[in-house]
Amino acid sequence: MFKIFSLITVLLIAFGIGSNDSCNALGISIGAGVIRFKKAIFLFGILVLAGITLNGNTVMETVGKNIVKLPLPVVCLAMSVSAILIILSNWKKLPLSTHQVIIGSLIGAGIAYGATINLFSIQKILLAWLTSPLISGFIGYFFYKFMEKCLTGFAFFKIEKLLRIFLILSASLISFNTGANELATVVGPVAFSSQFSNIFYFYLLGSFSTFLGAFILSHKVIETIGKGIISMDPLSGFSAQFSAGLCVMLFTWLGFPVSTTYCIIGAISGTGLTKGVQTVKISLLKKIILNWFLSFTFSILSSYFLTYLFFNFILTLK
Amino acid sequence: MLKKLFGGGLEKQVLNFIDKYLETLHKATQCLHNLIKKEEIETSYCIENLEREADVLRREIIAKIYEGAFLPYLRPSLCNFIEILEKAFEYLKICAFEYRYLNQNIYSAIKNLCIQVAKINVEMCLILQKAFSSLENKKEDIREKNLAIRVCEKKIDELKMEIMESLRNCEVCAITNFWEGKNISEFIEALVSISDVIEDASDYLYILELSLK
Repeated sequence: MFKIFSLITVLLIAFGIGSNDSCNALGISIGAGVIRFKKAIFLFGILVLAGITLNGNTVMETVGKNIVKLPLPVVCLAMSVSAILIILSNWKKLPLSTHQVIIGSLIGAGIAYGATINLFSIQKILLAWLTSPLISGFIGYFFYKFMEKCLTGFAFFKIEKLLRIFLILSASLISFNTGANELATVVGPVAFSSQFSNIFYFYLLGSFSTFLGAFILSHKVIETIGKGIISMDPLSGFSAQFSAGLCVMLFTWLGFPVSTTYCIIGAISGTGLTKGVQTVKISLLKKIILNWFLSFTFSILSSYFLTYLFFNFILTLK
Repeated sequence: MLKKLFGGGLEKQVLNFIDKYLETLHKATQCLHNLIKKEEIETSYCIENLEREADVLRREIIAKIYEGAFLPYLRPSLCNFIEILEKAFEYLKICAFEYRYLNQNIYSAIKNLCIQVAKINVEMCLILQKAFSSLENKKEDIREKNLAIRVCEKKIDELKMEIMESLRNCEVCAITNFWEGKNISEFIEALVSISDVIEDASDYLYILELSLK
């Protein structure tokens, strides 16, 4: 029963990732009219599956094994808390990071259950969360400068043609990372606590749910994001998206679950810095830091109380 | 497969249409130059015919752009470029129309200067064509073309002053009739405004090129 329940929570969160985070990957390309919505969503689905299958193992291991080792019922509780928080935040349009909610919930449930928490691993993850937008900004700054220099030798309409190809390339990179990092964070805890006979089917289900979320619910978000971003020049858009993609890929390779959204914000700030410090919105950065703190602590606390209640009262009553 | 995914067909069509549009503008300025030089009224009708051709091309260009050619970021700029050039056809049409009714006695005082202006207009069109083709294949420097167009425009400004001066100081061709005065004034105004439009279009191309860098 726990196996099925945990699978449902994973699919729900994956659905949420598809509906919300697909705009990170596809917003610019669809908004720029480089690729049509349906084609883009299918490409996204395929790359998410490729991402988790080929590159998702390291992040899955960190989230599912290295932070805390929990039995399936506790993971099930933690994932339920995560699913509820993510669904609520999507419904109320609060920008909660999936990574922070899932890792916070696992830590909260682990503390309440009395499991040993690997503080060193958590420290490393916290450091990754702090440094990923900065590194992304750093890459964004230099990548934009590099692209500017490279493109000066090309004719105007050739640059336009190249940018169309580049935008699809960066969208593909982010889609691949969505599978390798975001979906791997969701799948990891359940995959390591319950023994699946064929893990590929689990990947397939998770990817399909992400695809479904993107197909059914992401249209409006993509339209809004796309129209907002295309007012930015395409070279900056591509540089920011590609730099964020490279940064997430680097962290995925190191096995750290990091947020693509925050990396994109960091990369946008980095590309903005090439035009002067005044382009960086300090108020937005403050909001992000506050959001990190709140979503992480809130998910720890709520998961802790729910697990504590479950093991100390509900099970005792039975 | 790759061509289907990345497209590019619409863009090629738009670029071909813009090339044709610029060629039509060049032909129209050439036509005006011939008209003023040879003084054959019948040739003035070629400008109207070319203007109609350009109008069809303009509609095709805008329709193709809104079908989805180019990044949305560039679409308004390309449409504006074509709409700026549309004004040049308007001025050419006014020139051709007013020329038919000019008082030759008054006109003879400024004929040579007008031929010079028309000739520079033809040259400016050729430079604009080269500037646009440099956006397609970077064989020529658009900045140089932009500067050349500005130099031409300055020459035309100077010629305009000379034309005004000649008319003011001409004793044998003193303008005493309002309609004749209006006729020659509108002809000159339109003739010297063509270069302003070409200069605007060239500036626009230059800014467009900078916008992707």
